[in-house]
Amino acid sequence: MPYEIFVFVREVWDTRDLVVDPLDSSGAIRESVLSCRFEPEDLNALEMALKVKDSDGSRVTVMAFGPPREVDVLRESLYRGVDRVFRIEGSGIEGLDAFSKACAIERALKVVGKFDLMLFGVDVVEGENAQIGSHLAGILGLPQATYVESLESIKDGFVTCKRAIEGGMEEVILPLPAILTVGVALLVDDPRAPRPAKAKLKLLHKKTQIPSIQLEELVTPKVLVLERIPMPAREIESKDIDPEDEGALMRMIEELKEERILR
Amino acid sequence: MRRIWVYVELDENGVTDLSMQCLAKARELASQMDSSVTAVIPGHGSSSFKGEAIRRGADRELIVDSPALRPYTTIPYKMLLEDMMRREGCPDILIFPSSTTGNDLAPFLSASLGTGCVCECDTISFEDGNLSVGRMEFDGKVLTRYKVVGDERPIVVTLKDGIAEPYEDPSRSGSSVFLDPEIPEEAMIVKVLRRDVARRSVDLRSARIIVAGGAGVGSKENFGLIEELARVLGGEVGASRPAVDAGWASADRQIGQTGVVVRPELYIACGISGAVQHRVGMMNSKKIIAINTDPSAPIFRFAHYRIVGDLTKVIPKLIKLLGERGERFGEA
Repeated sequence: MPYEIFVFVREVWDTRDLVVDPLDSSGAIRESVLSCRFEPEDLNALEMALKVKDSDGSRVTVMAFGPPREVDVLRESLYRGVDRVFRIEGSGIEGLDAFSKACAIERALKVVGKFDLMLFGVDVVEGENAQIGSHLAGILGLPQATYVESLESIKDGFVTCKRAIEGGMEEVILPLPAILTVGVALLVDDPRAPRPAKAKLKLLHKKTQIPSIQLEELVTPKVLVLERIPMPAREIESKDIDPEDEGALMRMIEELKEERILR
Repeated sequence: MRRIWVYVELDENGVTDLSMQCLAKARELASQMDSSVTAVIPGHGSSSFKGEAIRRGADRELIVDSPALRPYTTIPYKMLLEDMMRREGCPDILIFPSSTTGNDLAPFLSASLGTGCVCECDTISFEDGNLSVGRMEFDGKVLTRYKVVGDERPIVVTLKDGIAEPYEDPSRSGSSVFLDPEIPEEAMIVKVLRRDVARRSVDLRSARIIVAGGAGVGSKENFGLIEELARVLGGEVGASRPAVDAGWASADRQIGQTGVVVRPELYIACGISGAVQHRVGMMNSKKIIAINTDPSAPIFRFAHYRIVGDLTKVIPKLIKLLGERGERFGEA
């Protein structure tokens, strides 16, 4: 049976391989030197939804806060095969905390309709947005599973999934409607890996109008940024060791021995 | 007088290390600003650990011991905490350990109550009477400090590993209160079908040397090389989550966000890209050797020794050289 599936996606700062100082002298984020990317866990969540669509023809609806900076995550979602996208807009929406964002999503949902399953990327540790999915579950009073690694089945009004817990995993079954936050640890060639954009869909949706949902009077954030403090770079004395050079490998071993790290 | 509650998680050995850290931090906050620390200890069998949270820094403990509380699912625990707050009075601050349970429950509960919540905090302190928390962001290059505004209570936070050293004072005394709130059957709508948690057979936290393998190891057979190198060095075997998921290593050897946080003298990362989920578990190791075929892997940015190469060739070489070294030093 096809379901109505909702995925929330975000465009976030790409904090990998940051060679630039992300802050200026006043402590503000240097937006001009940073690049953006599709939140990787959101892409995993999107893939999870698209797999359900592949198998039973479920309808996938995606929402994001707008406008895009560099990566239009909604268009990227269309390129991967979702059915509908909506951009949630409102003045100051970007500066909201996770709770107010969850409130904004709740209001946008009222405009768009009901969903059986709602997917969110679990926040990554250094993410600037935390826990939106769980906040929404709390607001709506819906059952949730967090740290979900795989969706095992969705049928007869229930979703079964595996979630990561300390030292292992658990398999849980939730009645629909339900909210899952997705955190996938991917292997090389993992079947859960997000699909790339399709050329055909790119052509089709290059100019597709993305409908927007305008929200007035957003919920006042409860959590505000006080300040951002640059942290001293981790000074690591780093050496390249040529694996072909046994002498270099040996020297590394000797150094570790001198430091009494190897005995 | 402020009231701080600390949600205490238990495992088969009692209060978890991270919960102990949270209790110690709450104690520290209480000494900064006149506050009381209450430990909240729900779970099945929790009464057998009576008194431990007191020794670890709480002034009193609220224990709820019920078979209905195992296994953990969000909604009954949320109702339980709401019920406890109604009976015992609402705390000003509610601290959770930043675990898969803490980070599941804290944002759900806070949103349901309509109060402010910050998860995965690296710092917490009082400033001019107001609570502020901090979180490492931008790849560890920025500490973002947050304040929670408004009068809604409790402020809900989850605290990350490393927030404080566990504290113990066997002479501390305090009251233990046993509560027996009713958890309605209809709250149990999420069912745990299966739970696979490895019994902890290894204590990676106290290992001096750890050799860890990740997705790049490629196969169970190759993972044998990791084990062999660990044996030669007298160290322990660690793994990233993908390697555990693939069945190459047991879950108790997982290092990182949903595994353990380690600080060994030497960490050898083999075929590990160094994604943030793994990095948080090992970046404070004293020396890090990284072996990876991809020269742009993030792990190389914080490794002391960078070996760009195929681990199936590099590790046997290292094993051979370590063997030779052993003989040579043996002769000397």
